[in-house]
Amino acid sequence: MYAYTDFDKHFVRQRAAQYRDQLERNLAGTLTDDEFRPLRLQNGWYIQRHAPMLRIAVPYGELNSKQLRALARIAREYDRGYGHFTTRQNTQFNWIPLVKSADVMELLASVDMHGIQTSGNCIRNITSDCFAGVAADEIVDPRPYCEILRQWSTLHPEFAFLPRKFKIAVSGAHEDRAAIAWHDIGLQLLKNDAGEVGFKVLVGGGMGRTPVIGTVINEFLPWQQILVFIEAIVRVYNRYGRRDNMYKARIKILVKAEGQRFIDDVNEEYKNILERDLDGSAHIITQTEFNRVASHFQVPTGVVADENKLLVPSHAPASFQRWLERNVHSHQIAGYRAVTLSLKRTGQAPGDATDQQMELAADLADRYSSGELRVSHDQNLVLPWVKESDLFALWEAARAASFATPNIGLLTDMIACPGGDFCALANARSIPIAAAITERFDDIDDLYDIGDIDLHISGCINSCGHHHSGHIGVLGVDKDGSEWYQITLGGLDGSAISGGSAPGKVIGPSFAADEVPDVIEAVIDTYRHERTAASEKFIDTVKRVGLDPFKTAANAQRRTTAKAD
Amino acid sequence: MKFIDKSKDAWHTITGEDGPMVTLTPAPYSLLTLTQWRAVRSAWPPDTPVGVAYDNDADIEDLAEDLPRLSLVALQFPKWVDGRAYSQAHLLRSRYRFKGEVRATGEVLVDMVLLLARTGFDAVALRADQSIEAAERSLRFFPGHYQGDTHDPRPLFARPPGEENSSAEVFVNAGASI
Repeated sequence: MYAYTDFDKHFVRQRAAQYRDQLERNLAGTLTDDEFRPLRLQNGWYIQRHAPMLRIAVPYGELNSKQLRALARIAREYDRGYGHFTTRQNTQFNWIPLVKSADVMELLASVDMHGIQTSGNCIRNITSDCFAGVAADEIVDPRPYCEILRQWSTLHPEFAFLPRKFKIAVSGAHEDRAAIAWHDIGLQLLKNDAGEVGFKVLVGGGMGRTPVIGTVINEFLPWQQILVFIEAIVRVYNRYGRRDNMYKARIKILVKAEGQRFIDDVNEEYKNILERDLDGSAHIITQTEFNRVASHFQVPTGVVADENKLLVPSHAPASFQRWLERNVHSHQIAGYRAVTLSLKRTGQAPGDATDQQMELAADLADRYSSGELRVSHDQNLVLPWVKESDLFALWEAARAASFATPNIGLLTDMIACPGGDFCALANARSIPIAAAITERFDDIDDLYDIGDIDLHISGCINSCGHHHSGHIGVLGVDKDGSEWYQITLGGLDGSAISGGSAPGKVIGPSFAADEVPDVIEAVIDTYRHERTAASEKFIDTVKRVGLDPFKTAANAQRRTTAKAD
Repeated sequence: MKFIDKSKDAWHTITGEDGPMVTLTPAPYSLLTLTQWRAVRSAWPPDTPVGVAYDNDADIEDLAEDLPRLSLVALQFPKWVDGRAYSQAHLLRSRYRFKGEVRATGEVLVDMVLLLARTGFDAVALRADQSIEAAERSLRFFPGHYQGDTHDPRPLFARPPGEENSSAEVFVNAGASI
């Protein structure tokens, strides 16, 4: 993975020093809270229900064991012993006092980490495929491009105060595991007939109040041009994006409103940069720079293809087979697999890990995965370099650390934001809903029978829990001060199982919190009744039969809402 | 970066009792609205320094032909988190090669100064309550930057070895001394 140069290290340390200066001015009263707010946001510090929330960038989801141990230390020494992994592959803490924030930034800088641009109206942390560099279906490894984009977007002086936040996702595989069409810019790496690498560029996707799937603005942009082309997109957005209404400020609204004119503007701006600007071609990526960055993403030392096939001991229980089926993924290198450590289990919120669990995951990474981990966009951890012959030993160790729930891709592997328990923006809680559904579907045979399904829960319309893209989406809404939940069906995140990208459709008025598990169960029962065979996946049944049978079944669960009417 | 002391500033706007005057006599260091400038530009003497205050939602392209005659373009930050003027300044320098002063006005705060300096502003009228000392310090935090800017259009990767650190000043943790 990428190793910081002296420049990178110095830069991040100075960012921490700059933040300390700002914090000190805030505490001294010379920098008002209102004026400190956008500055701390661009370092990942929010003010939440209980304390500030710190969001730490995990660039394109890549993490080493040393960094994870630093996160464990932050959880233990500055927080209440746990952290949360997010849908944008980042990490969040919820209980760190603001006065300690500069100390935490310095600790992070000591392991080459930071919170730069994890919030605020700027270019956010770049996300990617959690199997980047190891996926069997990979066309081009996206990580060098992600790193070049990370550096280019870091403290970009022109784009620090955009109309609204700006998210970029990059995929380099046949299957889109980064939900790129749901981002402000989605990049798909491709090879043309001549074998040259380029990007298919999508623009104007996003969730929130108005879910929009990105529009293709360039079918094949040579990779060398990507910084210039993105500069053109972001400049057009900075100049013309709406600033009068926060809910209409994302680039998706501009793209929708302007249509072809937006595309023409970007293409003209791109041309102008290259042809008219002073040294306008300076940001064309050179082969030397690409090689320098790509050299960091070599296969780790000691990882060599071998014929070491999987050893399944004769005493291995059925649960090991299930874990192999669900949590173990194919790999580019013969004899190797990627393994998901499930952060979805009874008793803990989706994506949460205690400091001890983080330490254990770091140990597992050191022992079985060349010290490397990934954060997946569905809030799990991944060990990318596991020898097949180590799988049984890894499974036993992961099970002891409660990482081995064999549920990846199943109903309980749900996405959920922290919701109203922590987040000041939320209209409703997510965690109790997630917990109730996890308890309801605690039978592993049942989960296997239901099969592949994406359940996504957001506590508010900001959609951090990606409810729009869930096969089943749950959205918390506030009505007269109480919590209600809107259910959508048929959302698609872009993955192979989803077969595309689309927002789900609402199946009726919101449900009361205590009805939600019943509604989910009724929807699942309807699927099992309607499916042509056990092999027909939930999403395929929804696509085939439409929403009506699901609506009927869901409406039959109304007790509180029936009384309310 | 030049920090404008408003009491000593040579530049002055031309206002009457009912707002900006449309008819005016050319005087050195007049800072005009776009409407004023357009009304007088055909008769403005070439050796009398003149500047234009330009709104942040106007296209900088529309000012292109006037730029050779202007000594100052004052760009606006109606709210400090409204970042449109950064793009305007960048275009003025990088695309239109404007050599006059580009000044940041409006709600201009200490922590914007580094961004201003890197997008082509060379003068700042800080909001009255802001500390020039803190603003100057804010320019010195970073050893250099990843992407090019109006001072050096080359990104870090295009600079020769040894030139990565564009800023010669060594950082001093002055923030702790407040």
